[in-house]
Amino acid sequence: MSHHGELSPADFLPLEAENQGELITRPSLSYWQDAWRRLKKNVRALISLYLIAALALFTLVGPIAWNVDPTLQDLNQISQAPSLPKLATLVENHIPWTPPVDPALPAIPSEIADQVDPVSAFRLAETASTQAVRLLWDGLSTAGGYNIYRNESKPEGFNDLGLPLISITAGNQIGYEDRLSLKAITYYYSIVPSDGFDEYDQFTSIKVEPVLAISIREAMERNILGPAQDAAIGSAITLEFHPFGTDYLGRDMLARLMEGARVSLFIGIVAPFIYVSIGILYGGFAGYFGNRIDQLLMRFADFVVALPFLLFMILFKIAFGIGPGESGIFPMLLALVLLLWPATARLVRGQVLQIREQGYIEAARILGGKPRYLILRHIIPNTMGVILVTLTFAVPSAIFTEAFLSFIGMGVAPPTPSWGSMCNEGVKTMLSHPHELFFPALFISITVLAFNLLGDGLTEALDARMRSRE
Amino acid sequence: MTANILEVTNLSVEFETFGGTVQAVRGVSFAVEAGKTLAIVGESGCGKSVTVQSVMGIIPMPPGKITSGSAKVKGEEILGLTAIEANRYRGVEIGMIFQDPMTSLNPSMTIGNQIAETLVVHRGKSHSEALAMAIKLLDRTHIPEASKRARQYPFEFSGGMLQRAMIAQSLACNPSLLIADEPTTALDVTIQEQILELLTELQRTEGMSILLITHDLAVVARMADQVAVMYAGQIIERGSLDDIFYRSAHPYTLGLKSAMPSNTGRGDKRLQPIPGSPPDLFSPPQGCGYAARCPQAMQICKRKLPVLTEDPGDSGHLSRCWLQHKDAPDVEELYQPLKLKGTSSAH
Amino acid sequence: MLSYITKRLVAGLITVWFIATATFIAMHLVPGDPLMNQKAVSAEIRLNLERKYGLDKPVVEQYFIFLGNMLTGDFGISYTQQNRKVNDIIKDHFPVSATLGILAIFFATLGGILWGAITAVYKNRLPDIIIMFLVILGISVPSFVFAALGQLLLVNLNQLVGQSVLPVAGWGTFSHMLMPSMVLGLSTMALLTRLMRSSMLDVVNEDYIKTAKAKGLSPLRIFFRHQLRNAILPVITVLGPQIAAITTGGFVVELVFAIPGLGRYFVQAVQQLDYTVIMGTTVFYGSFLVLMVILVDIVYGFIDPRVRLQ
Repeated sequence: MSHHGELSPADFLPLEAENQGELITRPSLSYWQDAWRRLKKNVRALISLYLIAALALFTLVGPIAWNVDPTLQDLNQISQAPSLPKLATLVENHIPWTPPVDPALPAIPSEIADQVDPVSAFRLAETASTQAVRLLWDGLSTAGGYNIYRNESKPEGFNDLGLPLISITAGNQIGYEDRLSLKAITYYYSIVPSDGFDEYDQFTSIKVEPVLAISIREAMERNILGPAQDAAIGSAITLEFHPFGTDYLGRDMLARLMEGARVSLFIGIVAPFIYVSIGILYGGFAGYFGNRIDQLLMRFADFVVALPFLLFMILFKIAFGIGPGESGIFPMLLALVLLLWPATARLVRGQVLQIREQGYIEAARILGGKPRYLILRHIIPNTMGVILVTLTFAVPSAIFTEAFLSFIGMGVAPPTPSWGSMCNEGVKTMLSHPHELFFPALFISITVLAFNLLGDGLTEALDARMRSRE
Repeated sequence: MTANILEVTNLSVEFETFGGTVQAVRGVSFAVEAGKTLAIVGESGCGKSVTVQSVMGIIPMPPGKITSGSAKVKGEEILGLTAIEANRYRGVEIGMIFQDPMTSLNPSMTIGNQIAETLVVHRGKSHSEALAMAIKLLDRTHIPEASKRARQYPFEFSGGMLQRAMIAQSLACNPSLLIADEPTTALDVTIQEQILELLTELQRTEGMSILLITHDLAVVARMADQVAVMYAGQIIERGSLDDIFYRSAHPYTLGLKSAMPSNTGRGDKRLQPIPGSPPDLFSPPQGCGYAARCPQAMQICKRKLPVLTEDPGDSGHLSRCWLQHKDAPDVEELYQPLKLKGTSSAH
Repeated sequence: MLSYITKRLVAGLITVWFIATATFIAMHLVPGDPLMNQKAVSAEIRLNLERKYGLDKPVVEQYFIFLGNMLTGDFGISYTQQNRKVNDIIKDHFPVSATLGILAIFFATLGGILWGAITAVYKNRLPDIIIMFLVILGISVPSFVFAALGQLLLVNLNQLVGQSVLPVAGWGTFSHMLMPSMVLGLSTMALLTRLMRSSMLDVVNEDYIKTAKAKGLSPLRIFFRHQLRNAILPVITVLGPQIAAITTGGFVVELVFAIPGLGRYFVQAVQQLDYTVIMGTTVFYGSFLVLMVILVDIVYGFIDPRVRLQ
């Protein structure tokens, strides 16, 4: 047996008993340590944890860092898309303008002409600003009035003159002041002469680009005026910064999102916490005592489960009513708790029934374990995993419910913002100002995503643990 | 020497897992002779099931990976074939039955259809022809009211009946080899006996070979012509039934035997469990895998892996133990509790 | 089987009673009273109205009248639409919601099974990663956002092509139904995809798949005859509850796409506090959902032999 190599007699001395067979080479971990270790290895779960931490920061620290009143309206920047801070020209306080009248012309022409010339010299009276656009034109002796339109694109024909601003019924009026929610964009103003009632088929257009302007009074009211010596008329001052833009009432989106986060996350976290707790007590009670009590309690839970959830959410919302000035957060919380506890109760009861039959409970009982000890030491720790997963998945569903109800106008009452009610407002201006829908929807999605991923990660971590123990 | 139906040489299988690579099978060689039964015996996790499932090509790959070795059916290499190529012998040349008949049959398909499927696929029979043959097969495995039973679903069968149906299914194409992976483990003792009886009977009438995987030495004694003992992914002893039972050369085989109850022993004989547990196959020990549990372990055992050597006085009986080395001391002088020579001289 | 169905139906009936009672109680908890919205009612008219709607009777009596009417399938008359029966409202608007829902379920089931099967086959490879990312998106984005996006998509599509490819809102033809039903089915599809994927992966590890391989069946045959069929079974069980989710999700889609369905009508009724319509619709929807869950269970029984024969 040369292939064994050279062996000395010492090789054949007996081996000391080291009891290596019993040696466990890998470190032993507790249930939660192991679950935590697995969770940390799950990249998606880890990302979700960071996301949740970021959301908590946004909600709690955000309002301190971004100290803007979410109810304050910035009328210069209504439905403003996210942008860098804007400069505005400081102008005099607005003084109403009396439109000029050409005394040489009749207010009403003596006879109605079949045809008239187009209006000529359609022009600006002064530099157009977002405070006011003042238009002038040469009057027509044959016209009985003028219709003024405004459009955001160049009109190609009679059909797209745009927004009708006014019907002037005096042929000698030769000016008009437009102050209707002006923005610093390009407008096309068109003028159509009329006989006082019907339009002639002539129109004249001009292109107007108002400059962003703010009056001294507004600037002082909103406290954005710099040092006094700079505050000369015509100087440029910086307007409020809205990193996420503003909504249709000119309120700062970021501040509202933070305020909305408090409402949405409050409902999303507190409601599940309450109803899962109730579910644990109810289900644990039923499961532990079993038999008749269990039958009775669970039959009732079955009924509550069968209630069509969202319909009853709406019903309860009306039933609990919202008084004037209330936000409606509490009725929603109550409705959620009333309708959602049975799911957890069923789950916990099932778990308890299952665990009760396990050998280790029997063993502990035989060794003299009292019910209190059995519940605290064995049943609760062994249901914690499942409960934690339920709780994690309950958060996104509660947030969804809040958003859904607020979206159909059954949720949190304005002016209190929640992400759902912000979506509701945003969807109305979706086509022209998509950011008003985008941001609250994004926040809902990120939150739901984070909790869903965390739930998945937890399930996998705890599941794998269960499986490897079998 | 008789023709070998199946020859496996130096087969090694690894599994990539979360915690690292498991070397589940480490260089296993054996052969099944025509019309004979080879039993592979060993405790759970020793790699015996992985060995035969690798031969059949039904281990999931990945994570599984055959790192070396060859398996020949009637001289034809079958490892490394594509699924389509492998189907020339799977179900045709080799039939297979599994440990748990309750979960090994498709729950949403009738028993008859599942057996007929094999015939439709491999023999090109029409569905009705195949079904008629399936009923005959059920009949041959002694399932009463076969035509009625063929229309039933697995959950309507008892465990023993299901295993009979499994056997019927594996016999559909008259294979020359039946692999039975722990065929009786999940069954009641009385049913076990019936299934073994059926297997013996079918082997006699069909003349097929059986490769039997089991951890039960009683089943080995009842069925096997040849025996291979596996431990920690390796065959540590191989030989005829008598070699293994009466001339055991490896301390592990002896350990297994003393852990087995017998009805011939005197009343004072106590079962001797083997202390400890098998080594972690994530990092197999450098030396003999059994060294840590072996009462006869020597210094060399821990350092160096012994090779499979043939007993010079007993042809065909191989073992993997340093005690077989010419320089090794006589076991009797080393330790009292196991009387190796005493046991072997009893025969 | 028959006794099973009877048992389920009886239990369902009791559930419907519970739903009706809960609805009645909830409605009577509402502060103020149903006639508050009525414009300028004099005391006399008010009394007449109370008599007309039976509000002058004690609550317990009202409850029994309500139950009795329900048994005969009569939900009363709308408060806000003069002399329009709640039954007629349901009859007019429910078929629209049902059509929308059925289409949505169809899209969701088909898509869920298809995508789920694909992800399982390509586990941890690119198609799986892409689809599962979309699934996570489908589960995390609220349905009204999808509805809004769907509409936006149609607007842009029509603008791009220069003519109306698919109508942006309204109801009537199949082209009206396409986008709303897909939007409505989206979150259910995402859920079913996930479920189908895990179900497929469970089945792959089943012993009978090993048996099928050992029998020498082709991978394609194993996939279709053994894996797919068994994987679909657990997916079907969640369809019942999902029908409920789709029904309520329909509210939003009906609102956004201006579809004259019962959901939109219900929201409107709630805003106007139209009591009889709210109660009638709730009880109707509740019973419908209870029936659906029973129906799905029975259908499941026909598909899964283990349930069928027990």
